[in-house]
Amino acid sequence: MSMTEKSYSIRSRMLGRSALLLLSIFLILSLGVWHYARQSANYSYDRLLNSASLSIMEGLHVYDKQVDLDLPYAAFEMMQLADEDKVFYQALGTQGELITGYPDMPLPNELNEDSAIAFYNAHYLSEEVRVVIRHKRLSEPVVSGWVTVVLAQTLRARHKMMNEILYRSFAVLFGIMACVMIVLWVAINRALEPLSSISKSLASHSLLSAEPIRPTPIQEVSPLVSAINDYQAQLLSNLAVMKRFIADASHQIRTAQSATQAQLDIASQSENLADLPEHLSKIRQEHERLTRLTNQLLTHAMVVHRGDTVVTEQMDIEDVMKKLLTECVRDNAHRMIDFSYQCEQQLPLFMGDSISLREAVRNLLDNAIYYGPEENQIEICLQMDASCIDIIIDDAGSGIPIEWREKALERFQRLENGLNGSGLGLSIVTSVAEAHGGKFFLEDSPLGGLRARICLPKERTLC
Amino acid sequence: MLKRMSFLLISLIMIASKVIAETPTLPTVWEADRLTIYSATDLKAIFPVLEAFKTQNPNIKLEYREFNTQELDRAIRAKPLEDQPDVVISSAMDLQVRLVNDGYAQPVLGEAVIGLPSWANWRNEVIGFTYEPIVFVYNKLAFQGKAVPLTHESLASTMRIEDSFFAHKVGSYDARRSGIGYLVATQDEVTSSISGRLQESLGRARTKVYGQTASLLDDIATGELIFGYNLLGSYSFAREKRDNRIGVVIPQDYALVVSRAAFISKQAKHVSNAQRFVNFLISKEGQGVIAKKSELVALFPDIDDLVSQQDTQDQTINFHPIPLGPALMVYLDDSKRRRFIKAWENALLSINEDQ
Repeated sequence: MSMTEKSYSIRSRMLGRSALLLLSIFLILSLGVWHYARQSANYSYDRLLNSASLSIMEGLHVYDKQVDLDLPYAAFEMMQLADEDKVFYQALGTQGELITGYPDMPLPNELNEDSAIAFYNAHYLSEEVRVVIRHKRLSEPVVSGWVTVVLAQTLRARHKMMNEILYRSFAVLFGIMACVMIVLWVAINRALEPLSSISKSLASHSLLSAEPIRPTPIQEVSPLVSAINDYQAQLLSNLAVMKRFIADASHQIRTAQSATQAQLDIASQSENLADLPEHLSKIRQEHERLTRLTNQLLTHAMVVHRGDTVVTEQMDIEDVMKKLLTECVRDNAHRMIDFSYQCEQQLPLFMGDSISLREAVRNLLDNAIYYGPEENQIEICLQMDASCIDIIIDDAGSGIPIEWREKALERFQRLENGLNGSGLGLSIVTSVAEAHGGKFFLEDSPLGGLRARICLPKERTLC
Repeated sequence: MLKRMSFLLISLIMIASKVIAETPTLPTVWEADRLTIYSATDLKAIFPVLEAFKTQNPNIKLEYREFNTQELDRAIRAKPLEDQPDVVISSAMDLQVRLVNDGYAQPVLGEAVIGLPSWANWRNEVIGFTYEPIVFVYNKLAFQGKAVPLTHESLASTMRIEDSFFAHKVGSYDARRSGIGYLVATQDEVTSSISGRLQESLGRARTKVYGQTASLLDDIATGELIFGYNLLGSYSFAREKRDNRIGVVIPQDYALVVSRAAFISKQAKHVSNAQRFVNFLISKEGQGVIAKKSELVALFPDIDDLVSQQDTQDQTINFHPIPLGPALMVYLDDSKRRRFIKAWENALLSINEDQ
């Protein structure tokens, strides 16, 4: 047996796992959103920076053989669209000399004039800035060469925009996640609802009442309901069988008791002492019957109990049979019965209940002795074929006619042969055979009497 | 008056002591209850505000130093970082913005800052706390029985028509020397399409240029000049109250509004005092003092009062506050400034010099 699993709630487990899944999705999406927000904020404000730098570039002119900048007001008004950001700028002439603006702007390590424009991040005057550097070729007769405009802006507006996008996207994402969680919660509760309704109806329902649980229209649940109903029906029928058994048993015992009582009464009232031995023998007979009946009832109860609780162990059938036969021979030494034992091959160990099996075979032997003639021949024969191990008890008695054999296997069915029997013996054997997954047959014996064959499945042997 | 004198005395002592104790570090207790203000504002004009602040915070010893706008800018840039004053105030908004842009300021904290109009606040680092329209000032005697020009447009045409009346009698700021003069002149150019024509008219009238508002107002009062163009409203209104020889007109087509800008130095040694002071300037209380007691004009409540004094019938004045922001730095660009000054000199002064 594996260790018992800790109890858990499907609802909280499902919800917890879905929440975990959603959370990881949320994290992945957040990463994407963050990236997107950063990119779009950069993109928007880079365009602003780009147009402003273009506008400044427009202000670069050659005056009096020198490059000069007439800083356009529009460029700065454009920059003011990012209304909280500082602005730094610089214009460099053809020799890289400062025309105007901040003298120490952060420049890229090497000025690459092939690309007209480049963006980069830098640090300037203790502020993080985004810088655009733009080149333009002047080819006036007096001045020719590359002029450069460097324009930088702090990142406040970008961060603000990024945060705004992030905030909104997170709000939407969060809303979706919350909705999904609510839907999940409702769905899970909905799915588990039949379970709780069934357990509720089971709790208020007695298994012993004949009323089945009402069938449900939910397809997924109806197998459970019908299984419970089947189980209930089985239980009820078992209970009915048990009731009948008890009624029958008590009837049998009472009958035997009253018969003994009657014989005792007759004997006590008899005035003729010579009749006493006869009375005593009758009383003894009745008492024997009662004892046998009681034994068999107890055996039956034990066998049924053991069959129900499935007690299995390794057993050596041959050994059990030999011991049983020895016992039987010893008990019946005063009779003219010829016992024999035959086993053709080595039998493997069998997984079964040796006590109930022994009891069953003992019953068969007792039957053979009891119902057989004074001079009888009883043979135990063990055989094994492809599918089963057979335990065969043959006798040379009168046997049972074919048409009665099936009836003989039922409980409390006695054959009208005048002999006293409990009517339980064969039903015990049947129960034991079935408890071992096997079968019990009544057949004709080559010795002339009855052959009782217990067929045990070979699957339960140990190889 | 006695009080004022004593205050000045304290300030002077403070300055003196600072000069003496420049190098050795002062005890922290001494340091903690001080506040250094460098300002391009007449002490006389701002005194009631300082006094009100002092009453509210008797433990804080104020040190107030007065500069003109350009000197102040140069002084701040020249000072090593550890010697920066706590609060810097100037009406030259462009210079203030450039100082902030160059990293000389730290954010002003407080709820009052959020309530400021957007043009009076840039990055929470520099804030405008007054509302000073740029006005025309005239000599009442000279304009007796004459219509005073109420718009830039009418001024330009009047000056052209009555050439001899205005000749040598018009005064304005010297854009080269006065920070506020330069700011107003450049903003005129940005705001109005007729500024070129007006400059030309001013040139033809042989306008005299001044570095100080006070001397300009003096000359108008005495009748040396009859008309002053683009004067700072705060000082002009204050003078008008005291001196009935002059009149002040808020131009009706558009009136530029300068807001005195304050920022807290990044290296301020008395940050909490500085925060308290700047927040006081824009608080209801501070604005009340500015409006009622000082010669300055408060941000909100004051202006309607001033407009109603002017006998404009039902004309609404188009106030045009100059917004604090990096665009103000455009005209501070060296080559841009050179270019502008050259054009300004050509328009205003060439005729003067020709003579």
